[in-house]
Amino acid sequence: MKRTFIIIAVLSLIMSFTFNMGAQEKKAVRKVITFDNTPVKRPYSPAIEVNGTLYVSGQIAIDQLTGKLIEGKIEDQTRQVLKNLKNVIEKAGYTMDNVARCTVLLSDIAFYPTVNKIYMDFFPKDPPARMAFAVKDLPMGALIEIDATAVK
Amino acid sequence: MKKVINTLNAPVAIGPYSQAVEANGILFISGQIPIVPETGKIIEGGIKEQTQQVFRNIGAILDEAGYEFKNIVKSTCLINDMADFKAMNEVYSGYFPDNKPARAAYAVKDLPMGALIEIETIAIK
Repeated sequence: MKRTFIIIAVLSLIMSFTFNMGAQEKKAVRKVITFDNTPVKRPYSPAIEVNGTLYVSGQIAIDQLTGKLIEGKIEDQTRQVLKNLKNVIEKAGYTMDNVARCTVLLSDIAFYPTVNKIYMDFFPKDPPARMAFAVKDLPMGALIEIDATAVK
Repeated sequence: MKKVINTLNAPVAIGPYSQAVEANGILFISGQIPIVPETGKIIEGGIKEQTQQVFRNIGAILDEAGYEFKNIVKSTCLINDMADFKAMNEVYSGYFPDNKPARAAYAVKDLPMGALIEIETIAIK
């Protein structure tokens, strides 16, 4: 009798552990943010959302309609990049205020003050954390690239 | 809910960014360069002195946000010259004796204020 009790108790304990583990095992759901009218196929998604965090791919100053880099100087490219970023963020159901961090890649560190002025228009209050630096080269000869991570 | 971290013990932002932002239980610390908070200037010295100052700045922000170095899960290290890699690592490893964070490290063309190093970190408690 006593032995049966012990066996049942141990089995119940093991079963309850297994059930608990099963309940706690949460699979991260991954959502891909896409645009239907993307003219060119690329090996990355505009953004991925997982666990309440939105990872946005680095944006360069591409005109969404032509798929080409816009004409213009650093001011025009910066504005286009931030507009593209805002587009993806809003398509995913987030706002610019949700952006927690950005990486700003410049083709020339001398662009820093000019870029900052325009950047402030898009993040007027409590701007995200940031990393900014000049790189050797950017795709398509772009002058600037910015990525972002947003958290709701 | 987004929380902005601000402390006078770390350099004031030299651009439109916050020293750190905490959201969803994740602390994103802006890339730190070796500015001395009291002077607003890059610290004198080479890669070792600069790396130490960067870590002092990161430490001040972690403190303000209620985190520790051992909470850091990922760092990105930007150096001006790959030749500085070893010296930077020597200072860096002192702050992460075990359970070292994930990391990406590479040489860039230029950093703001002519800094030799910039380090960005992400911490989770």
